[in-house]
Amino acid sequence: MASYFDDHGVNELSENLTSDELPLVMARILLRFGFADDIWLTTMGSDGLGPYPTAKKVIEELPTQIITKEEAEKKNTCSVCLGHLEEDNEVKTLLCKHQFHTKCILPWLEKVNTCPVCREEFATDDPAYEEFRKYKARKKQRDFELDNLHNSMFG
Amino acid sequence: MAIAEQRIRREFREVIRSEEVERCRIKVELVNDKFNELKGEIAGPPETPYEGGKFQLEIKIPETYPFNPPKVRFVTRIWHPNISSVTGAICLDILKDQWAAAMTLRTVLLSLQALLAAAEPDDPQDAVVARQYKERQDVFQKTATHWTNVYAGGPNHADDLEDKVRQLTNMGFEEDQARVALSSHNWDTAQATDFLLS
Repeated sequence: MASYFDDHGVNELSENLTSDELPLVMARILLRFGFADDIWLTTMGSDGLGPYPTAKKVIEELPTQIITKEEAEKKNTCSVCLGHLEEDNEVKTLLCKHQFHTKCILPWLEKVNTCPVCREEFATDDPAYEEFRKYKARKKQRDFELDNLHNSMFG
Repeated sequence: MAIAEQRIRREFREVIRSEEVERCRIKVELVNDKFNELKGEIAGPPETPYEGGKFQLEIKIPETYPFNPPKVRFVTRIWHPNISSVTGAICLDILKDQWAAAMTLRTVLLSLQALLAAAEPDDPQDAVVARQYKERQDVFQKTATHWTNVYAGGPNHADDLEDKVRQLTNMGFEEDQARVALSSHNWDTAQATDFLLS
């Protein structure tokens, strides 16, 4: 039988909490009592951006390529430096398909877990934040199902 | 060349070329040759109390730009729920946690113009203005129009409000302070005087 924790895509906490697990417990309590939308706003970094860098694994696995002569002729722009993607430039493509110079996108992803253009959200290495992401995804799915149900009954 | 300076140079060409400038709705000027400090200007949007006014902005570019947002503040005094009537500090999400590296000075100035057209009183920078906006919309409209006239060169002069300010300056109060006190107390002269004396 699959465990409760597997079903819900969360990790079981150990009996004696370690300091790493404390934020996770806090996050669960806050989510449980409906503070979800407030928590992450108040935990923003002092520079005003989220304190959650993109997960190292996500960054490492981004497809990397060198711009060819033909591609350079398209005169695509990197939205971070606003310069063209020119021949021989090294570029990375995010999961949302937006492309940037490697040297431009890395400093951003090391700070933030979203695409600078479309805000597509990427995984982070922060367990509490990941819990919040799962909660948001579940909530979205629930709202969608409720909507469907409502529409099928009254639509 | 640092990425911040390179970005600003490129953006500068973009803002200067863009059609918004031709219609005189937004403007950016250099303050020094280091590209880390700029002067911005936006025109008040039509059909708002800010119509006809020109609002000056101070724009500071951090070294980490575009990974961090530019620091923007109103230099021209303005009566708006999301802008401090005292310091000109702005409460706008894209200048804080919602900044994205693909945004530019042009999108920032256009967002500020949009903020003037659609205030967000539930996320205020200036609580006094926000309360007036929610509870006394008529007084808010009149006050914001008056401030636009006095500080931003707007066309609508309000003799009755000017008279009240003059009453207080005749008592020896400084003009801007008198205007803030009156504006904050829904133009009740007695309350404003009490406030100034307290």
